[in-house]
Amino acid sequence: MVVEIKRQVCDGHLLKWLMAAGLAWLENHRKQVNDLNVFPVPDGDTGTNMTLTLQKAYEAIAQMDESHFGVVSAAVAHGALRGARGNSGTILSQLFAGFAESVRGHEYLDLPLLVTGVQRGVEKAYQAVSEPVEGTILTVAREAMEAVTAFDPASRDLKTGFEVLLQAAYESLQRTPDLLPRLKQAGVVDSGGQGLVYILEGMSRLLHGEPITIRETALAQATPDDWQEALLPEDEEGYGYDVQFLIHGEQLDVNQVRHDIEAMGWSALVVGDEALIKVHVHVHDPGQPLSYAIGLGAQIDDIVVENMQLQYQSYVQARIDRHDDQLQAVEGVAVIAVASGDGLRDLLKNEFGVAAVISGGQTMNPSTEDFLAVIDRLSNHEIILLPNNKNIQLAAEQAAELARNKQVRVIPTKTIPQGIAALMEYVNLRDEPMETIFEGMREGMREVVTCEITTATRDALIDGVEVREGQYIALINGQLRLAESELTTAVTQALQKAGAGDYELITVYYGQQVKPQQATSLQAHLSEQFANQEIFLVNGGQPLYPYLISLE
Amino acid sequence: MKKIRFVTDSVCDIPKDLIEKWDIGVVPCYVNYGGKSYADDGVELNREEYFKQLADMPDHPTTAAPPPALAEEVLTKWFEGADHLIVITTPAKLSGIYNSMRLGGQKLPQDRITLIDSGQLSMAIGWQVLIGAEVAAKTGDLAQTLNAIQRIRDHQALYAGLSTMEFLRRSGRVGWAAAGIGALLQIKPIVKVGGGEVVSEARVRTFSRVIDKLIELAHQHAPLDKLAVLHINNLEGAAELRARLKDIMPEDTITTGCGPTLGTHIGPGALGLATVSKSWKA
Repeated sequence: MVVEIKRQVCDGHLLKWLMAAGLAWLENHRKQVNDLNVFPVPDGDTGTNMTLTLQKAYEAIAQMDESHFGVVSAAVAHGALRGARGNSGTILSQLFAGFAESVRGHEYLDLPLLVTGVQRGVEKAYQAVSEPVEGTILTVAREAMEAVTAFDPASRDLKTGFEVLLQAAYESLQRTPDLLPRLKQAGVVDSGGQGLVYILEGMSRLLHGEPITIRETALAQATPDDWQEALLPEDEEGYGYDVQFLIHGEQLDVNQVRHDIEAMGWSALVVGDEALIKVHVHVHDPGQPLSYAIGLGAQIDDIVVENMQLQYQSYVQARIDRHDDQLQAVEGVAVIAVASGDGLRDLLKNEFGVAAVISGGQTMNPSTEDFLAVIDRLSNHEIILLPNNKNIQLAAEQAAELARNKQVRVIPTKTIPQGIAALMEYVNLRDEPMETIFEGMREGMREVVTCEITTATRDALIDGVEVREGQYIALINGQLRLAESELTTAVTQALQKAGAGDYELITVYYGQQVKPQQATSLQAHLSEQFANQEIFLVNGGQPLYPYLISLE
Repeated sequence: MKKIRFVTDSVCDIPKDLIEKWDIGVVPCYVNYGGKSYADDGVELNREEYFKQLADMPDHPTTAAPPPALAEEVLTKWFEGADHLIVITTPAKLSGIYNSMRLGGQKLPQDRITLIDSGQLSMAIGWQVLIGAEVAAKTGDLAQTLNAIQRIRDHQALYAGLSTMEFLRRSGRVGWAAAGIGALLQIKPIVKVGGGEVVSEARVRTFSRVIDKLIELAHQHAPLDKLAVLHINNLEGAAELRARLKDIMPEDTITTGCGPTLGTHIGPGALGLATVSKSWKA
């Protein structure tokens, strides 16, 4: 497809195409962006987070037939804000939000508007981050903005202006290792910046008529928000029956049988030969195919009839139950925490009265929308969010801002032990006003040192630690401190490095992949190593991280 | 000038020298374990040894109020030579001691005995008794003495920081630290006593936080007129509390061990503070 900007303006329809192209190009390079993650830990990858964020932005306009540029931009921003995932995804959504804000009411985009839009976007993105770090997607966006600002606006040349933007972004990306030593050390450019460049590049390719493979998966209309609607049977009589049986006979005509059976229902599968035919069909009246087979003068056998309507209903009910089960009614200030693992989930809900636990953290970063959905469903008006992961913080903060009619605040917990330390204060301050609880929890989270043990996802050299893929690595308060091939050694050394001997209590949350006996023998080992400390074992059930350990 | 004498029970934890100094009658409570019953009178039961063994006892001990006959014996003895007897006891909500004292005092002239439910435990009962005795000695006036005791109650506090939930659990008093928490995680509760009830004040995860919290709570009640630092086989912890309370600690601060009646439920290692704020005098 070749789309040209014939006039030096861009309307809503073109924006939609540009978004599709940007998304497709990013999706095509998702893995490359993921591979740029400097930290060799299995936490929410940048490429995935940005793609999912952009996907939500595109979904918001996918069904739109709208030429007004401002209207489409606003929808893009709305979708991106809610779909924001991970820190890069959230910054991306702020770029869109700022851009949409400044083009509001404009039917077309021209060069001056592009400039002010990008300026406002960058401004908003910087504001979203409490301590902006240079050498990241922020720098790439800002330097691109500066280049297009310097571009002669009198030329009115939107297309060239866009190229200037892209070129500057690309050049800025190459400079990110000079700004962030950890990038240089790892020999990569910034992943978020690279994601942004891919998006712009995809748009540019569309403008130049260069090929982009637009995969269906990337552009597929996601399942509707309402999953119940998505599951509704197409036939108004419902899902009917699943009927399977064998026909034993002589000189059976498979083709004729297939033809007749197909006419009775749907999803028919009829295979076999003259002596034996296997029939599988979905029908409203299971008697029909069975009587038909008898009518052939044949014997039937292995008859299985299942009521799919009832199966569907019980599935829906189970899913509703499970859904409701996720919420726990609490009075006053409610807490929503992010965690994965049954043990941690139980701990947070039963011991600390957390109202809802959103799955995520080590595996997937929940989106702003995931937070908003739970915030909406809680009846509480004052809510505190515990992201429990550095890369979920911005999405949580964005959700806190977008939440309507509720006071939502974020305690910037970066690890599960920090979240639990904060929750100790939540329990203690249960009857106090929101502000007191919030301050207490923020203080409380500092009471703990976290050691996280996981497996390296790639070779890396970070902060002087050489890591080989598959090795156990230990992070102490988020800093990579050692790599070891043997798990118990990794834990022991990590605790030594963290100065566990100076603390009173070592709580070990063991993960999904650790058997209880393994955990117990680790506990015994640690009791010898740290004779003056209390070692407490908790089944956390978290994925990917065999051990999360807190020192208090 | 009336001669007013005081009787209390062994939960009060008043050190021996002060008991003697103020001529206080103490009715011992009982601890039952290993099929036997021991009076907490400093003779039948050695507190330090008892707490050393507590963790390993196969069946968790139970505590019991003294029989009314024993209360009667002490009350009658102290009544001799007194114009009036003030009896301050462990709260009726927590123990049968109050009832034993009431029954034990029935034969005495009721207009010359005043029975008071302290609403408190340990040295918080102790302060009501000691300050009451001091006022009585100084004024010889019943109304003034009772008034002082009432004001102390309004301006005193008692906190205990536990080193573990284990003993609350064993004695079935987890409710003191509020239910629902502590089953899966290591929790150290800080409890507050008042109005005859033990309630959860805070829950922390390490004993150093327990101490921090106790220090913080004590400061909330400063300036202090009286302070008792309480411990159960934890002199080291008591010393740390004293060191960190220097800024608000009255000169006559008492450090004393907590008895088995309360101690059986909260367990060895625990620390506590019984404060009386200066404001009680105002």
